[in-house]
Amino acid sequence: MMSPVAECFVAFLFGSVAGLLMQRSRFCNTAALRDAIMFKTYRNTKAMLAAMMILTLGFTGFMSLGAGHPLQFDVGLNTFAGLFLFGIGMVFAGACTVSTWVKTGEGNLGALWALIFTFVGMFLFSLVWSASWWPPAPQTMTGQINAPALQLGFANAQTLQQKFGVPAIVFGLVQFAVLFGLYRAILKRERAHHAEHVKHQQEHAKGKPVETAVQNA
Amino acid sequence: MEFFKKTLDPIIALSAIAVLDIFMFLIMGAWTVGGGETMMTGLIAKAAIGDELERLPFWNIVFPVHGDYWKIYISLGMLFGAFVGAVLSKEFYWRVPRHLSEWVLITLGGLLMGFGIRLAYICNVSTFFGLMPEMNMGGYLAMSGILAGAWVGSLIYKKLLEAE
Repeated sequence: MMSPVAECFVAFLFGSVAGLLMQRSRFCNTAALRDAIMFKTYRNTKAMLAAMMILTLGFTGFMSLGAGHPLQFDVGLNTFAGLFLFGIGMVFAGACTVSTWVKTGEGNLGALWALIFTFVGMFLFSLVWSASWWPPAPQTMTGQINAPALQLGFANAQTLQQKFGVPAIVFGLVQFAVLFGLYRAILKRERAHHAEHVKHQQEHAKGKPVETAVQNA
Repeated sequence: MEFFKKTLDPIIALSAIAVLDIFMFLIMGAWTVGGGETMMTGLIAKAAIGDELERLPFWNIVFPVHGDYWKIYISLGMLFGAFVGAVLSKEFYWRVPRHLSEWVLITLGGLLMGFGIRLAYICNVSTFFGLMPEMNMGGYLAMSGILAGAWVGSLIYKKLLEAE
């Protein structure tokens, strides 16, 4: 067990390297979703999928051995509703939780403004929660499982392992295969798009002298 | 240094972050941002209104306020790392949104993100780089929510762009 100070130091170190790498690569989680939906471009989507594939193998591999610290996170419809609001918000703000910090570090005052209002939104929610006590906090925060009507319970690769007696990594490999299939589909689409682009360029290049000849005539 | 001259392939960057995230998962827990931001909100509110904050049950039961919460330092680290990267690559400069409409959208976006994170008890980073790789049911629910939200948000954003 690490001391809180050591944990904070490790977290800062991880954050610093992540911030540096994201700044240098222009990675943005918002762009990974928004650009795929709006512009059918996948530069960030591919990076996100690559990370998810590595993490799936790593996390489920260690979870098979009972290692690691997975979130004890029981869920409900509020999980969907909250991230739905978040999804709209990140497109409006043009940044997500990661890129608000990274862009602020680059001197982007719009990102800083988004960050400030993320804090305001969180404080507003704390007022609503203090009045309604809803949704119930997951066991990660309270240490106890919540089972009120709206909560759908808790399941992850480790509970699957316990239930079916199959190592968690097996389920991880299935998820890896799905993510890899998505990744390949994107590559295929990009190649088809590129081939179409090249074909258009060639046709344009061939057509140009003819047009010029007609014009000259 | 070449690293600060050329843009890094995001696949390489995110793969490296994923490997580091696995190490952090083994010793503390996976990469997350929303929890640290909530604790910062609590710390700021406590600095502003003092012990009055404790009258709100949220800050007693769900997020008791304390400064040595490791998740805060991930966010501060990202800010620091990005600042260093931007300065060394001569990409740091003040960028200010020009139009009032941009400020309004950013304000609304920030509010929705903050409120949404707390309603779900999870953020986008935990969704894609924590819960989903752990195959937590919440990861799939959250991912469905964020995709639906991003789609609706993009539709509204397109309409706004067309109106301008």
